[in-house]
Amino acid sequence: MNKIYSENEQKQYKLIKDLKELPKLKAPENFEYNLMTKIQNKNFGESLNQKSQFNFVKFFAPSAIVVTIVLLFFIFLPSSNQRNVPSNSPRIIENQAIADNSVAPFKKEENAKNSNQASQNTISIPQLSHSSNERPLNQIDDSRSVKVDDYISGANSNQKGLERGNIVNGGSEPAGDNGFFISERPDKKTLDKYRARVDSVKKEQLKADSLKKVQKTH
Amino acid sequence: MNKPLTALTDEELIKEFQDNNTLEAYEYLVKRYKDPLMNFVYRFVGDRDVCTDIVQDTMIKFYLNKDSYRSFAKFSTWIYTIAGNLAKNELKRRRRRNIFSINNNDDEKTPQIEDKMFLSPDRTADGQIKNEIIQKALLKVKPVYREVVILRDIQDLSYEEISEITGLAIGTVKSRINRGRIQLQKLLKHIYRE
Repeated sequence: MNKIYSENEQKQYKLIKDLKELPKLKAPENFEYNLMTKIQNKNFGESLNQKSQFNFVKFFAPSAIVVTIVLLFFIFLPSSNQRNVPSNSPRIIENQAIADNSVAPFKKEENAKNSNQASQNTISIPQLSHSSNERPLNQIDDSRSVKVDDYISGANSNQKGLERGNIVNGGSEPAGDNGFFISERPDKKTLDKYRARVDSVKKEQLKADSLKKVQKTH
Repeated sequence: MNKPLTALTDEELIKEFQDNNTLEAYEYLVKRYKDPLMNFVYRFVGDRDVCTDIVQDTMIKFYLNKDSYRSFAKFSTWIYTIAGNLAKNELKRRRRRNIFSINNNDDEKTPQIEDKMFLSPDRTADGQIKNEIIQKALLKVKPVYREVVILRDIQDLSYEEISEITGLAIGTVKSRINRGRIQLQKLLKHIYRE
């Protein structure tokens, strides 16, 4: 390696010689006077102030890159995310609806006794969010589902979306995100029955509490 | 200290300045290094007025940060490093100014090298013009190569000293010097015909 450098030096001999012979520049005569004056007056000027200057280019260049990356991330991510979001199956929703209004299990017996009384009370039952007209959130698009009946009868000749991975649906009902399982809708009568029981228990509990308070005050 | 200040080495002088804050020692060091630094910075930046400011700033930095010098290093390499960094900052500032300036005057930005067609052989032989051409060509060489070529071929520093100043390995210094010379020779091919 050193040989190559020395060979090159020989080739560049003239250039090196000329560079060495370049006239030496000298400092101006008042150089030291100016310097000492600056030091005595503590006039250090730019050499100290340069550090505090805010550099826009240095600041904005990295931040622009970060913003671009974040934007790209949000542009390309949703398509893959939509499939990964777990959706609630109707069965889970039903259980949750019951659990929202539920009370401790040991009061179930009491419920049975007061069921008749409760049925006479006017109770406003909130409608479930997934009534027959509404579709649950995050439901997979129906256009991608395959109607099995049509498929068997041969009426699906023009139907699109028969690619692999499409969801098989059992009939005209909108497909849930339950893959190959046919969704089971919650029974409204059963729900009403449970709610009526829960509400009556709550009312009885309130009555008992108010009686206790009256007794305490006396 | 019994020796007169003039007889002291650079390292002894800065020690004197560090320990006893002797301004005379500082002045001696300024006297010793103002011309070599002027020459180095001028060859690197190419502007006499700017070069004077840079060397002044170098001396002020040396005055203000005298305690950051450690005795195991050579004073010359330390002061050259300061000057080199300030000169590089100046080049960066110029580049930025050129990017953001509305009137981008190319004549100011890059020095033009006279084409061989416009120079008669006897004019090329003239030393002064030749030196000017070399200087202009030098300013066209990439700063990373230019710095080491100046330190080696104009300032006559050893590879070890250049390595200390630039913070590069000796091998890198050698290769950069070589590349710088090749670039320079290409730019001056009308003078150096093989």
